[in-house]
Amino acid sequence: MASDWTATVNTDVPNPARIYDYLLDGKDNFPADRDVAEQLLAIAPVARDVVEDNRAFLRRVVRFLTREAGVRQFIDLGSGLPTRGNVHEIAQAEAPDARVVYVDNDAMVVTHSRALLAGDNTAAIHADLREPERVLGHPEVGELIDFDRPVALLLMAILHFIPDDEDPPGIVARFRDALPAGSYLSVSHGTRDIPERWDLSPEAMAEMGTKVEQLYQLTTASLVTRPRAQVERFFDGFDLVEPGVVEIQRWRPDDQASILPGGFYGGVGRRR
Amino acid sequence: MTEGRAVGGGPTVQRMLVGAQLRRLRTDQGLTRDQAAQAIRASEWKIHRLENGQVGFKDRDVIDLLRLYQVTDPTEVAEFLALAREANTPGWWHHYGDVLPAWFRTYVDLEQAASLIRSYEGQYVPGLLQTDAYLRAVVQGAHLAESAEEVGRRVRLRLARQTLLTVEGAPRLWAVVDEAALRRPVGGRLVLRGQLERLVEATKLSNVTLQVLPFAAGAHPAMVGAFSILRFADRELPDVVYLEHLTSAIYLDRRHDVERYLDAMEQLCVQAEPPARTVELLNQMLDEL
Repeated sequence: MASDWTATVNTDVPNPARIYDYLLDGKDNFPADRDVAEQLLAIAPVARDVVEDNRAFLRRVVRFLTREAGVRQFIDLGSGLPTRGNVHEIAQAEAPDARVVYVDNDAMVVTHSRALLAGDNTAAIHADLREPERVLGHPEVGELIDFDRPVALLLMAILHFIPDDEDPPGIVARFRDALPAGSYLSVSHGTRDIPERWDLSPEAMAEMGTKVEQLYQLTTASLVTRPRAQVERFFDGFDLVEPGVVEIQRWRPDDQASILPGGFYGGVGRRR
Repeated sequence: MTEGRAVGGGPTVQRMLVGAQLRRLRTDQGLTRDQAAQAIRASEWKIHRLENGQVGFKDRDVIDLLRLYQVTDPTEVAEFLALAREANTPGWWHHYGDVLPAWFRTYVDLEQAASLIRSYEGQYVPGLLQTDAYLRAVVQGAHLAESAEEVGRRVRLRLARQTLLTVEGAPRLWAVVDEAALRRPVGGRLVLRGQLERLVEATKLSNVTLQVLPFAAGAHPAMVGAFSILRFADRELPDVVYLEHLTSAIYLDRRHDVERYLDAMEQLCVQAEPPARTVELLNQMLDEL
Protein backbone atom coordinates (compact mmCIF):
# COMPACT_ATOMS: atom_id res chain seq x y z
CA MET A 1 0.00 0.00 0.00
CA ALA A 2 2.72 2.47 0.90
CA SER A 3 4.93 3.80 -1.83
CA ASP A 4 8.34 2.38 -2.34
CA TRP A 5 10.69 5.33 -1.99
CA THR A 6 13.57 3.35 -3.38
CA ALA A 7 11.68 2.06 -6.42
CA THR A 8 12.90 3.55 -9.64
CA VAL A 9 11.76 3.96 -13.18
CA ASN A 10 14.60 3.29 -15.57
CA THR A 11 13.68 4.81 -18.90
CA ASP A 12 17.07 3.97 -20.41
CA VAL A 13 16.39 0.24 -20.47
CA PRO A 14 13.79 -0.96 -22.99
CA ASN A 15 10.67 -2.14 -21.21
CA PRO A 16 8.09 -4.54 -22.72
CA ALA A 17 5.12 -2.60 -21.33
CA ARG A 18 6.34 0.62 -22.91
CA ILE A 19 7.27 -1.13 -26.18
CA TYR A 20 3.70 -2.45 -26.28
CA ASP A 21 2.46 1.08 -25.55
CA TYR A 22 4.45 2.38 -28.52
CA LEU A 23 3.05 -0.33 -30.80
CA LEU A 24 -0.45 0.76 -29.73
CA ASP A 25 0.38 4.42 -30.55
CA GLY A 26 0.59 5.37 -26.89
CA LYS A 27 2.69 8.27 -25.62
CA ASP A 28 4.14 6.65 -22.49
CA ASN A 29 7.33 5.39 -24.08
CA PHE A 30 10.93 6.56 -24.26
CA PRO A 31 13.70 6.46 -26.89
CA ALA A 32 15.08 3.09 -25.70
CA ASP A 33 11.62 1.54 -25.98
CA ARG A 34 10.96 3.02 -29.41
CA ASP A 35 14.32 1.83 -30.63
CA VAL A 36 13.51 -1.79 -29.78
CA ALA A 37 9.96 -1.43 -31.08
CA GLU A 38 11.24 -0.15 -34.41
CA GLN A 39 13.70 -3.05 -34.61
CA LEU A 40 10.83 -5.40 -33.84
CA LEU A 41 8.78 -3.89 -36.65
CA ALA A 42 11.72 -4.31 -39.00
CA ILE A 43 11.97 -8.00 -38.12
CA ALA A 44 8.24 -8.65 -37.92
CA PRO A 45 6.22 -5.95 -39.69
CA VAL A 46 3.00 -7.62 -38.47
CA ALA A 47 3.88 -6.90 -34.83
CA ARG A 48 1.72 -3.78 -34.73
CA ASP A 49 -1.28 -5.67 -36.11
CA VAL A 50 -0.70 -8.52 -33.70
CA VAL A 51 -0.77 -6.27 -30.61
CA GLU A 52 -3.92 -4.57 -31.93
CA ASP A 53 -5.39 -8.03 -32.49
CA ASN A 54 -4.43 -8.96 -28.95
CA ARG A 55 -6.37 -5.96 -27.60
CA ALA A 56 -9.33 -7.01 -29.75
CA PHE A 57 -9.02 -10.58 -28.43
CA LEU A 58 -9.03 -9.25 -24.86
CA ARG A 59 -12.16 -7.24 -25.61
CA ARG A 60 -13.98 -10.26 -27.05
CA VAL A 61 -12.88 -12.49 -24.17
CA VAL A 62 -14.03 -10.05 -21.47
CA ARG A 63 -17.36 -9.57 -23.24
CA PHE A 64 -17.82 -13.33 -23.51
CA LEU A 65 -16.96 -13.79 -19.85
CA THR A 66 -19.35 -11.09 -18.62
CA ARG A 67 -22.21 -11.70 -21.08
CA GLU A 68 -22.22 -15.42 -21.62
CA ALA A 69 -20.30 -16.86 -18.68
CA GLY A 70 -21.73 -14.41 -16.14
CA VAL A 71 -18.34 -13.69 -14.55
CA ARG A 72 -18.21 -10.60 -12.36
CA GLN A 73 -14.65 -10.82 -10.98
CA PHE A 74 -11.46 -10.40 -12.97
CA ILE A 75 -7.78 -10.56 -12.16
CA ASP A 76 -5.66 -9.16 -14.98
CA LEU A 77 -2.12 -10.46 -14.47
CA GLY A 78 0.63 -8.46 -16.18
CA SER A 79 -1.91 -5.81 -17.09
CA GLY A 80 0.55 -3.35 -18.66
CA LEU A 81 0.12 0.38 -19.17
CA PRO A 82 -3.46 1.65 -19.31
CA THR A 83 -4.70 2.13 -22.85
CA ARG A 84 -8.04 2.38 -24.62
CA GLY A 85 -10.44 -0.40 -23.69
CA ASN A 86 -9.13 -1.55 -20.34
CA VAL A 87 -10.65 -4.65 -18.74
CA HIS A 88 -12.88 -2.82 -16.23
CA GLU A 89 -14.21 -0.51 -18.92
CA ILE A 90 -15.20 -3.46 -21.11
CA ALA A 91 -16.57 -5.52 -18.22
CA GLN A 92 -18.44 -2.69 -16.48
CA ALA A 93 -20.06 -1.65 -19.76
CA GLU A 94 -21.70 -5.10 -19.70
CA ALA A 95 -22.08 -5.46 -15.95
CA PRO A 96 -21.62 -2.28 -13.87
CA ASP A 97 -20.96 -4.37 -10.74
CA ALA A 98 -17.95 -6.16 -12.30
CA ARG A 99 -14.81 -5.96 -10.17
CA VAL A 100 -11.29 -5.90 -11.58
CA VAL A 101 -7.83 -6.16 -10.04
CA TYR A 102 -4.90 -5.17 -12.21
CA VAL A 103 -1.59 -6.78 -11.27
CA ASP A 104 1.83 -5.81 -12.60
CA ASN A 105 5.40 -6.04 -11.35
CA ASP A 106 6.51 -2.81 -13.04
CA ALA A 107 6.49 0.27 -10.79
CA MET A 108 5.61 2.71 -13.58
CA VAL A 109 2.80 0.49 -14.83
CA VAL A 110 1.35 0.25 -11.33
CA THR A 111 1.44 4.02 -10.68
CA HIS A 112 -0.30 4.62 -14.01
CA SER A 113 -2.87 1.94 -13.29
CA ARG A 114 -3.57 3.32 -9.82
CA ALA A 115 -3.89 6.85 -11.16
CA LEU A 116 -5.88 6.14 -14.28
CA LEU A 117 -7.81 2.90 -13.70
CA ALA A 118 -8.51 2.53 -10.00
CA GLY A 119 -12.03 3.31 -8.86
CA ASP A 120 -14.82 1.94 -6.72
CA ASN A 121 -14.71 -1.54 -8.19
CA THR A 122 -11.16 -1.63 -9.49
CA ALA A 123 -7.74 -1.80 -7.90
CA ALA A 124 -4.16 -1.97 -9.12
CA ILE A 125 -1.51 -3.80 -7.14
CA HIS A 126 2.24 -4.09 -7.37
CA ALA A 127 3.01 -7.81 -7.38
CA ASP A 128 4.70 -10.44 -9.49
CA LEU A 129 2.60 -13.16 -11.07
CA ARG A 130 5.48 -15.59 -10.47
CA GLU A 131 4.44 -15.42 -6.81
CA PRO A 132 0.78 -16.54 -6.99
CA GLU A 133 0.37 -16.78 -3.21
CA ARG A 134 1.45 -13.16 -2.76
CA VAL A 135 -0.91 -11.99 -5.46
CA LEU A 136 -3.81 -14.01 -4.08
CA GLY A 137 -3.07 -13.01 -0.50
CA HIS A 138 -2.74 -9.30 -1.26
CA PRO A 139 -5.14 -7.29 0.95
CA GLU A 140 -6.59 -5.34 -1.97
CA VAL A 141 -7.29 -8.58 -3.82
CA GLY A 142 -9.05 -9.87 -0.71
CA GLU A 143 -11.16 -6.70 -0.55
CA LEU A 144 -12.43 -6.97 -4.11
CA ILE A 145 -12.42 -10.65 -4.98
CA ASP A 146 -14.65 -13.28 -3.39
CA PHE A 147 -12.91 -16.63 -3.94
CA ASP A 148 -16.12 -18.52 -3.24
CA ARG A 149 -17.50 -17.22 -6.53
CA PRO A 150 -16.15 -17.62 -10.08
CA VAL A 151 -13.13 -15.53 -10.97
CA ALA A 152 -11.67 -14.90 -14.41
CA LEU A 153 -7.91 -14.95 -14.59
CA LEU A 154 -6.50 -13.05 -17.56
CA LEU A 155 -2.94 -13.74 -18.72
CA MET A 156 -2.74 -11.69 -21.88
CA ALA A 157 0.56 -11.57 -23.73
CA ILE A 158 2.43 -12.15 -20.48
CA LEU A 159 3.32 -15.84 -20.10
CA HIS A 160 5.75 -15.57 -23.02
CA PHE A 161 7.87 -13.46 -20.66
CA ILE A 162 8.23 -16.41 -18.26
CA PRO A 163 11.03 -18.79 -19.31
CA ASP A 164 10.61 -22.56 -19.01
CA ASP A 165 12.95 -22.80 -16.00
CA GLU A 166 10.45 -20.75 -14.01
CA ASP A 167 7.77 -23.33 -14.78
CA PRO A 168 4.95 -21.18 -16.20
CA PRO A 169 2.42 -24.09 -16.27
CA GLY A 170 3.17 -24.63 -12.58
CA ILE A 171 2.53 -20.95 -11.85
CA VAL A 172 -0.82 -21.07 -13.65
CA ALA A 173 -1.70 -24.27 -11.75
CA ARG A 174 -1.08 -22.54 -8.41
CA PHE A 175 -3.54 -19.82 -9.38
CA ARG A 176 -6.00 -22.44 -10.66
CA ASP A 177 -5.97 -24.27 -7.36
CA ALA A 178 -7.13 -21.12 -5.57
CA LEU A 179 -10.12 -20.66 -7.87
CA PRO A 180 -13.55 -22.29 -7.38
CA ALA A 181 -15.05 -24.52 -10.07
CA GLY A 182 -16.74 -22.46 -12.74
CA SER A 183 -13.89 -19.93 -12.79
CA TYR A 184 -12.22 -19.07 -16.06
CA LEU A 185 -8.72 -18.70 -17.46
CA SER A 186 -7.81 -16.81 -20.59
CA VAL A 187 -4.32 -16.80 -22.10
CA SER A 188 -2.79 -15.20 -25.15
CA HIS A 189 0.76 -16.10 -26.07
CA GLY A 190 3.35 -15.41 -28.78
CA THR A 191 4.16 -18.27 -31.11
CA ARG A 192 6.32 -19.04 -34.10
CA ASP A 193 3.86 -21.60 -35.45
CA ILE A 194 2.99 -20.56 -38.98
CA PRO A 195 -0.64 -19.89 -39.73
CA GLU A 196 -1.91 -21.21 -43.07
CA ARG A 197 -2.36 -17.81 -44.55
CA TRP A 198 1.15 -16.55 -43.87
CA ASP A 199 3.28 -17.11 -46.91
CA LEU A 200 6.42 -18.05 -44.98
CA SER A 201 8.78 -21.00 -45.06
CA PRO A 202 9.40 -22.79 -41.74
CA GLU A 203 12.99 -21.55 -41.91
CA ALA A 204 11.94 -17.91 -42.38
CA MET A 205 9.44 -18.17 -39.53
CA ALA A 206 12.00 -19.80 -37.27
CA GLU A 207 14.49 -17.06 -38.09
CA MET A 208 11.92 -14.36 -37.36
CA GLY A 209 11.08 -16.01 -34.04
CA THR A 210 14.72 -16.29 -33.07
CA LYS A 211 15.41 -12.67 -33.96
CA VAL A 212 12.44 -11.45 -31.94
CA GLU A 213 13.57 -13.53 -28.95
CA GLN A 214 17.10 -12.15 -29.28
CA LEU A 215 15.77 -8.60 -29.49
CA TYR A 216 13.86 -9.00 -26.23
CA GLN A 217 17.09 -10.03 -24.53
CA LEU A 218 17.80 -6.27 -24.58
CA THR A 219 14.72 -5.53 -22.52
CA THR A 220 13.81 -6.01 -18.87
CA ALA A 221 12.06 -9.30 -19.72
CA SER A 222 13.18 -11.88 -22.24
CA LEU A 223 10.58 -13.43 -24.48
CA VAL A 224 9.95 -17.05 -25.40
CA THR A 225 7.56 -18.10 -28.13
CA ARG A 226 5.76 -21.44 -27.67
CA PRO A 227 3.96 -23.91 -29.92
CA ARG A 228 0.25 -24.63 -29.60
CA ALA A 229 0.64 -27.77 -27.48
CA GLN A 230 2.58 -25.84 -24.83
CA VAL A 231 -0.03 -23.06 -24.76
CA GLU A 232 -2.73 -25.71 -24.33
CA ARG A 233 -0.87 -27.06 -21.30
CA PHE A 234 -1.68 -23.86 -19.40
CA PHE A 235 -5.30 -25.02 -19.48
CA ASP A 236 -4.69 -28.23 -17.51
CA GLY A 237 -7.68 -28.59 -15.19
CA PHE A 238 -9.82 -26.36 -17.41
CA ASP A 239 -12.30 -27.32 -20.13
CA LEU A 240 -11.52 -25.22 -23.19
CA VAL A 241 -14.52 -23.37 -24.55
CA GLU A 242 -15.03 -23.41 -28.31
CA PRO A 243 -12.99 -23.00 -30.47
CA GLY A 244 -10.14 -24.02 -28.11
CA VAL A 245 -6.63 -22.63 -28.40
CA VAL A 246 -6.44 -20.96 -31.79
CA GLU A 247 -4.84 -17.93 -33.41
CA ILE A 248 -6.33 -15.04 -31.44
CA GLN A 249 -7.89 -13.57 -34.57
CA ARG A 250 -9.95 -16.76 -34.98
CA TRP A 251 -11.25 -16.86 -31.44
CA ARG A 252 -14.96 -15.98 -31.76
CA PRO A 253 -14.31 -13.16 -34.23
CA ASP A 254 -16.68 -10.22 -34.44
CA ASP A 255 -16.99 -7.68 -37.22
CA GLN A 256 -13.82 -5.93 -36.20
CA ALA A 257 -11.60 -9.01 -36.11
CA SER A 258 -8.46 -8.92 -38.22
CA ILE A 259 -8.46 -11.07 -41.33
CA LEU A 260 -4.80 -12.01 -41.03
CA PRO A 261 -4.41 -14.61 -38.29
CA GLY A 262 -1.15 -15.46 -36.59
CA GLY A 263 1.49 -14.34 -34.13
CA PHE A 264 -0.40 -15.17 -30.93
CA TYR A 265 -2.41 -18.13 -29.71
CA GLY A 266 -5.29 -17.57 -27.38
CA GLY A 267 -8.05 -19.42 -25.64
CA VAL A 268 -10.50 -19.50 -22.76
CA GLY A 269 -11.02 -22.39 -20.35
CA ARG A 270 -13.54 -23.14 -17.61
CA ARG A 271 -12.27 -24.56 -14.32
CA ARG A 272 -13.57 -28.07 -13.65
CA MET B 1 12.44 21.69 -33.73
CA THR B 2 9.91 19.10 -32.82
CA GLU B 3 12.29 16.24 -33.32
CA GLY B 4 10.99 13.30 -35.25
CA ARG B 5 8.01 15.35 -36.29
CA ALA B 6 9.66 17.70 -38.74
CA VAL B 7 8.47 15.62 -41.67
CA GLY B 8 5.04 16.88 -42.65
CA GLY B 9 5.47 19.91 -40.42
CA GLY B 10 3.97 18.56 -37.20
CA PRO B 11 2.65 21.00 -34.68
CA THR B 12 4.78 23.16 -32.49
CA VAL B 13 3.54 24.51 -29.20
CA GLN B 14 3.02 27.91 -30.69
CA ARG B 15 0.81 26.56 -33.45
CA MET B 16 -1.14 24.67 -30.85
CA LEU B 17 -1.46 27.87 -28.84
CA VAL B 18 -2.67 29.91 -31.79
CA GLY B 19 -5.00 27.09 -32.77
CA ALA B 20 -6.31 26.80 -29.23
CA GLN B 21 -6.99 30.56 -29.14
CA LEU B 22 -8.90 30.31 -32.40
CA ARG B 23 -10.96 27.50 -30.89
CA ARG B 24 -11.73 29.58 -27.81
CA LEU B 25 -12.71 32.63 -29.88
CA ARG B 26 -15.02 30.44 -31.95
CA THR B 27 -16.72 28.73 -29.03
CA ASP B 28 -17.07 32.09 -27.24
CA GLN B 29 -19.20 33.13 -30.21
CA GLY B 30 -21.20 29.92 -29.96
CA LEU B 31 -20.15 28.90 -33.48
CA THR B 32 -19.65 25.35 -34.73
CA ARG B 33 -16.60 24.30 -36.72
CA ASP B 34 -18.85 23.95 -39.72
CA GLN B 35 -20.02 27.56 -39.46
CA ALA B 36 -16.44 28.75 -39.19
CA ALA B 37 -15.47 26.61 -42.17
CA GLN B 38 -18.10 28.28 -44.32
CA ALA B 39 -16.76 31.72 -43.44
CA ILE B 40 -13.35 30.87 -44.87
CA ARG B 41 -14.70 28.64 -47.64
CA ALA B 42 -12.99 25.62 -46.18
CA SER B 43 -13.90 22.23 -44.78
CA GLU B 44 -14.80 21.49 -41.19
CA TRP B 45 -11.76 19.21 -41.19
CA LYS B 46 -9.50 22.16 -42.01
CA ILE B 47 -10.86 24.12 -39.04
CA HIS B 48 -10.25 21.06 -36.90
CA ARG B 49 -6.65 20.88 -38.09
CA LEU B 50 -6.10 24.64 -37.70
CA GLU B 51 -7.40 24.55 -34.13
CA ASN B 52 -5.15 21.60 -33.32
CA GLY B 53 -2.14 23.42 -34.72
CA GLN B 54 -1.67 20.69 -37.30
CA VAL B 55 -1.40 23.01 -40.30
CA GLY B 56 0.20 26.40 -40.91
CA PHE B 57 -1.86 29.58 -40.81
CA LYS B 58 -2.57 31.72 -43.88
CA ASP B 59 -3.05 35.43 -43.16
CA ARG B 60 -6.26 35.44 -45.20
CA ASP B 61 -7.81 32.64 -43.15
CA VAL B 62 -6.80 34.18 -39.87
CA ILE B 63 -8.21 37.60 -40.84
CA ASP B 64 -11.50 36.06 -42.01
CA LEU B 65 -11.84 33.96 -38.88
CA LEU B 66 -11.04 36.86 -36.57
CA ARG B 67 -13.68 38.96 -38.33
CA LEU B 68 -16.19 36.14 -37.88
CA TYR B 69 -15.23 35.93 -34.21
CA GLN B 70 -15.73 39.69 -33.88
CA VAL B 71 -12.12 40.50 -33.14
CA THR B 72 -11.93 43.85 -34.91
CA ASP B 73 -9.50 45.99 -32.95
CA PRO B 74 -6.65 46.58 -35.48
CA THR B 75 -3.93 46.22 -32.85
CA GLU B 76 -5.38 42.96 -31.62
CA VAL B 77 -5.68 41.61 -35.15
CA ALA B 78 -2.10 42.66 -35.95
CA GLU B 79 -0.78 40.99 -32.81
CA PHE B 80 -2.66 37.82 -33.56
CA LEU B 81 -1.36 37.76 -37.13
CA ALA B 82 2.21 38.25 -35.91
CA LEU B 83 1.77 35.34 -33.54
CA ALA B 84 0.28 33.16 -36.27
CA ARG B 85 3.13 33.99 -38.67
CA GLU B 86 5.73 33.23 -36.04
CA ALA B 87 3.95 29.94 -35.35
CA ASN B 88 4.46 28.90 -38.97
CA THR B 89 8.19 28.83 -38.40
CA PRO B 90 9.28 25.59 -36.79
CA GLY B 91 12.14 25.31 -34.34
CA TRP B 92 10.85 27.02 -31.31
CA TRP B 93 10.77 26.95 -27.61
CA HIS B 94 9.25 29.95 -26.16
CA HIS B 95 9.12 32.40 -23.53
CA TYR B 96 6.10 34.57 -23.37
CA GLY B 97 7.10 38.06 -22.28
CA ASP B 98 6.20 39.57 -18.98
CA VAL B 99 2.56 40.40 -19.61
CA LEU B 100 0.94 38.11 -17.14
CA PRO B 101 -2.62 37.98 -18.43
CA ALA B 102 -1.45 37.14 -21.95
CA TRP B 103 0.64 34.12 -21.09
CA PHE B 104 -1.73 33.00 -18.46
CA ARG B 105 -4.54 33.07 -20.98
CA THR B 106 -2.57 30.97 -23.43
CA TYR B 107 -1.88 28.38 -20.76
CA VAL B 108 -5.56 28.21 -19.94
CA ASP B 109 -6.33 27.67 -23.62
CA LEU B 110 -3.85 24.82 -23.85
CA GLU B 111 -5.08 23.35 -20.59
CA GLN B 112 -8.61 23.24 -21.97
CA ALA B 113 -7.43 21.36 -25.03
CA ALA B 114 -5.55 18.79 -22.96
CA SER B 115 -6.83 15.33 -22.14
CA LEU B 116 -4.38 14.77 -19.29
CA ILE B 117 -2.62 17.33 -17.12
CA ARG B 118 0.22 15.98 -15.01
CA SER B 119 1.83 18.38 -12.60
CA TYR B 120 4.30 18.55 -9.79
CA GLU B 121 3.92 21.33 -7.21
CA GLY B 122 6.49 21.90 -4.50
CA GLN B 123 5.39 25.17 -2.92
CA TYR B 124 1.63 25.36 -3.01
CA VAL B 125 -1.49 23.41 -3.84
CA PRO B 126 -2.12 23.07 -7.61
CA GLY B 127 -4.05 26.04 -8.97
CA LEU B 128 -6.91 23.93 -10.25
CA LEU B 129 -7.59 22.67 -6.72
CA GLN B 130 -7.13 25.86 -4.70
CA THR B 131 -9.94 27.28 -2.58
CA ASP B 132 -10.99 30.87 -2.98
CA ALA B 133 -9.34 31.91 0.30
CA TYR B 134 -6.14 29.99 -0.38
CA LEU B 135 -5.90 31.43 -3.88
CA ARG B 136 -6.44 34.93 -2.51
CA ALA B 137 -3.62 34.41 -0.03
CA VAL B 138 -1.32 33.15 -2.81
CA VAL B 139 -2.11 36.15 -5.02
CA GLN B 140 -1.68 38.60 -2.14
CA GLY B 141 1.57 36.96 -1.18
CA ALA B 142 2.90 37.38 -4.68
CA HIS B 143 1.71 40.94 -5.31
CA LEU B 144 2.01 42.78 -2.05
CA ALA B 145 1.66 46.26 -3.55
CA GLU B 146 -1.45 45.63 -5.57
CA SER B 147 -4.85 47.14 -5.05
CA ALA B 148 -7.61 45.04 -3.61
CA GLU B 149 -9.37 45.41 -6.93
CA GLU B 150 -6.44 43.97 -8.87
CA VAL B 151 -6.13 41.07 -6.43
CA GLY B 152 -9.83 40.42 -6.85
CA ARG B 153 -9.49 40.42 -10.63
CA ARG B 154 -6.67 37.90 -10.56
CA VAL B 155 -8.52 35.69 -8.11
CA ARG B 156 -11.63 35.69 -10.32
CA LEU B 157 -9.56 34.90 -13.41
CA ARG B 158 -7.94 31.92 -11.76
CA LEU B 159 -11.11 30.66 -10.13
CA ALA B 160 -12.87 30.73 -13.49
CA ARG B 161 -10.19 28.35 -14.74
CA GLN B 162 -11.23 25.73 -12.19
CA THR B 163 -14.50 24.97 -13.95
CA LEU B 164 -12.25 23.08 -16.36
CA LEU B 165 -12.31 19.99 -14.16
CA THR B 166 -16.07 19.69 -13.95
CA VAL B 167 -17.24 20.47 -17.49
CA GLU B 168 -18.21 17.71 -19.89
CA GLY B 169 -15.18 16.15 -21.53
CA ALA B 170 -13.00 17.53 -18.71
CA PRO B 171 -9.34 16.59 -18.76
CA ARG B 172 -7.85 14.36 -16.10
CA LEU B 173 -5.62 16.02 -13.53
CA TRP B 174 -2.85 13.83 -12.08
CA ALA B 175 -0.92 15.90 -9.60
CA VAL B 176 2.01 15.15 -7.34
CA VAL B 177 2.15 17.62 -4.46
CA ASP B 178 5.08 17.93 -2.12
CA GLU B 179 4.36 17.54 1.58
CA ALA B 180 5.89 21.02 2.04
CA ALA B 181 3.07 22.54 0.01
CA LEU B 182 0.52 20.88 2.28
CA ARG B 183 2.19 21.92 5.53
CA ARG B 184 2.84 25.58 4.70
CA PRO B 185 0.01 27.60 6.29
CA VAL B 186 -0.73 29.80 3.27
CA GLY B 187 -3.34 32.27 4.49
CA GLY B 188 -3.09 30.87 8.02
CA ARG B 189 -4.23 27.73 9.75
CA LEU B 190 -7.94 28.08 8.99
CA VAL B 191 -7.37 28.73 5.30
CA LEU B 192 -5.05 25.74 5.12
CA ARG B 193 -7.64 23.59 6.84
CA GLY B 194 -10.25 24.60 4.30
CA GLN B 195 -7.76 23.88 1.55
CA LEU B 196 -6.90 20.40 2.82
CA GLU B 197 -10.60 19.61 3.15
CA ARG B 198 -11.06 20.75 -0.43
CA LEU B 199 -8.28 18.40 -1.55
CA VAL B 200 -9.94 15.45 0.15
CA GLU B 201 -13.15 16.35 -1.70
CA ALA B 202 -11.28 16.72 -4.99
CA THR B 203 -9.88 13.20 -4.74
CA LYS B 204 -13.46 11.93 -4.99
CA LEU B 205 -13.74 13.30 -8.52
CA SER B 206 -13.20 10.50 -10.99
CA ASN B 207 -10.88 12.65 -13.10
CA VAL B 208 -8.60 13.84 -10.29
CA THR B 209 -5.63 11.85 -9.00
CA LEU B 210 -3.55 13.23 -6.18
CA GLN B 211 -0.30 11.85 -4.81
CA VAL B 212 1.57 13.37 -1.89
CA LEU B 213 5.34 13.30 -2.13
CA PRO B 214 6.33 12.90 1.53
CA PHE B 215 9.42 14.45 3.14
CA ALA B 216 10.48 10.87 3.83
CA ALA B 217 10.96 10.30 0.10
CA GLY B 218 14.14 12.38 0.41
CA ALA B 219 15.84 13.68 -2.71
CA HIS B 220 13.73 13.58 -5.86
CA PRO B 221 14.08 14.56 -9.52
CA ALA B 222 12.02 17.75 -9.32
CA MET B 223 13.82 19.58 -6.54
CA VAL B 224 14.48 22.43 -8.98
CA GLY B 225 10.81 23.24 -9.01
CA ALA B 226 7.28 22.87 -10.25
CA PHE B 227 6.31 21.82 -13.76
CA SER B 228 3.33 20.56 -15.69
CA ILE B 229 3.03 18.27 -18.69
CA LEU B 230 0.02 18.62 -20.94
CA ARG B 231 -1.05 15.67 -23.03
CA PHE B 232 -3.52 15.89 -25.90
CA ALA B 233 -5.81 13.15 -27.10
CA ASP B 234 -4.79 13.53 -30.72
CA ARG B 235 -2.04 11.08 -31.53
CA GLU B 236 -0.09 13.65 -33.57
CA LEU B 237 0.05 16.33 -30.92
CA PRO B 238 3.19 16.26 -28.79
CA ASP B 239 3.20 16.57 -25.03
CA VAL B 240 3.97 20.09 -23.86
CA VAL B 241 5.91 21.01 -20.73
CA TYR B 242 4.89 24.20 -18.96
CA LEU B 243 7.12 26.07 -16.55
CA GLU B 244 5.83 29.15 -14.77
CA HIS B 245 8.18 31.85 -13.56
CA LEU B 246 7.66 35.16 -11.84
CA THR B 247 7.50 37.21 -15.02
CA SER B 248 7.10 34.65 -17.75
CA ALA B 249 6.17 31.14 -18.69
CA ILE B 250 8.07 28.68 -20.81
CA TYR B 251 6.64 26.00 -23.03
CA LEU B 252 8.77 23.09 -24.18
CA ASP B 253 7.77 20.78 -26.97
CA ARG B 254 11.06 19.38 -28.20
CA ARG B 255 10.81 15.67 -27.66
CA HIS B 256 14.18 15.50 -25.97
CA ASP B 257 13.27 18.20 -23.44
CA VAL B 258 9.79 16.84 -22.85
CA GLU B 259 11.12 13.37 -22.19
CA ARG B 260 13.45 14.60 -19.47
CA TYR B 261 10.40 15.97 -17.69
CA LEU B 262 8.33 12.86 -18.39
CA ASP B 263 11.11 10.77 -16.94
CA ALA B 264 11.19 12.97 -13.83
CA MET B 265 7.41 12.77 -13.55
CA GLU B 266 7.41 8.98 -13.75
CA GLN B 267 10.02 8.83 -11.01
CA LEU B 268 8.05 11.28 -8.84
CA CYS B 269 4.87 9.26 -9.21
CA VAL B 270 6.66 6.08 -8.16
CA GLN B 271 8.25 7.80 -5.15
CA ALA B 272 5.06 9.56 -4.08
CA GLU B 273 2.40 7.95 -1.93
CA PRO B 274 -0.34 6.15 -3.91
CA PRO B 275 -3.69 7.97 -4.27
CA ALA B 276 -5.49 5.96 -1.56
CA ARG B 277 -2.70 6.49 0.97
CA THR B 278 -2.65 10.19 0.05
CA VAL B 279 -6.23 10.60 1.26
CA GLU B 280 -5.28 9.00 4.59
CA LEU B 281 -2.34 11.40 4.91
CA LEU B 282 -4.50 14.42 4.13
CA ASN B 283 -6.94 13.38 6.86
CA GLN B 284 -4.03 12.86 9.24
CA MET B 285 -2.72 16.37 8.46
CA LEU B 286 -6.18 17.76 9.13
CA ASP B 287 -6.24 16.03 12.52
CA GLU B 288 -2.86 17.49 13.39
CA LEU B 289 -3.75 21.01 12.28
